[in-house]
Amino acid sequence: MNARSYAQDRAEIEDLMARYLFAMDWADYDAYAEMFTEDGELEYARGTAKGRAAIGESVRAFKAAIGQIYTDSRGRPAILRHILAQTVIRVEGDRAFAVALWWEMANDGPGDKPKAGTFGTYEDELVRQDGRWLFSKRRILNEFLDGRATGETNPVLLLDQRAKACAR
Amino acid sequence: MTIYSPTYADDRAQIQDLMGRYLFAMDWHDTETYAGCFTEDGVLDYAMDTLVGRAAIREGAVKFRENVGRLFKREDGSPALLRHVLDQIVIRIEGDRAWTTAFWWEMTDGGPGRTPQIQSYGTYEDEVVRIDGQWLFRRRKIYNEFIPGRETPDPNPVIRFDEVADAAKKD
Repeated sequence: MNARSYAQDRAEIEDLMARYLFAMDWADYDAYAEMFTEDGELEYARGTAKGRAAIGESVRAFKAAIGQIYTDSRGRPAILRHILAQTVIRVEGDRAFAVALWWEMANDGPGDKPKAGTFGTYEDELVRQDGRWLFSKRRILNEFLDGRATGETNPVLLLDQRAKACAR
Repeated sequence: MTIYSPTYADDRAQIQDLMGRYLFAMDWHDTETYAGCFTEDGVLDYAMDTLVGRAAIREGAVKFRENVGRLFKREDGSPALLRHVLDQIVIRIEGDRAWTTAFWWEMTDGGPGRTPQIQSYGTYEDEVVRIDGQWLFRRRKIYNEFIPGRETPDPNPVIRFDEVADAAKKD
């Protein structure tokens, strides 16, 4: 058993999740990939990338593509920002499970003002390795993409089921 | 290997509270509380100016209160309400010093039919210190992606403070 408090684990995981978003929005692919375990999985609109190298490459390609979709009035890639709101985190020893609400905005509104883009959920599995919390799996669900919407069931109930199975 | 001390959660919670109090003080134009979020010699580096010391920061907040109604208006021309929102925050803590990188955005009630309208967003970069048990801003730098010359620079801003924090750890 670990002697760490829930608050300590949660604080470290919140910090990881914030670092993840800065790495993504500032296109820091090395920092991004290093937030996953060596064999970590990223499952999102472009499929599933497994392992740090594949995750870094996949996200690089994704960023290039999204720069064509979100543009300002002069056709330049928009300044896209992801935002993290409420986060549910269950910790079981050196494993954790999280569900969080994300949304995004960019300067692609009228007059290049901010405009809300899409929103969805993160469904995460995390592992504490060498004293560091890392994503072993992150699923990015987006309510605006066919086939990628969060399911009908409250994702927190699914999280609780996974955490209970893990505790056994 | 961890960058988090055993007291990280408690310190992080206190620093998040400071950041929350700062925004309420700003949006409610409580200039005294606002300036009190900084150390006596604190620095506020933002779009209009760089202010040094609590007195100057408070004066800046008074000017902001006087001018904000001209900057943000409702459709009918009356002064709009302005609210700042804070979301993801990266915090590094080494003893009584801390460094934060946070994402902020702001909205007004100046949209069509007095609806919420997102105005801008950017990044806070803070140096925070604990003095007499209280965390305070020693320096806050405010980047805004909608003010030319004040955009958050590349690369990933988190990396810069990690380097500073790593160096402080060695001292």
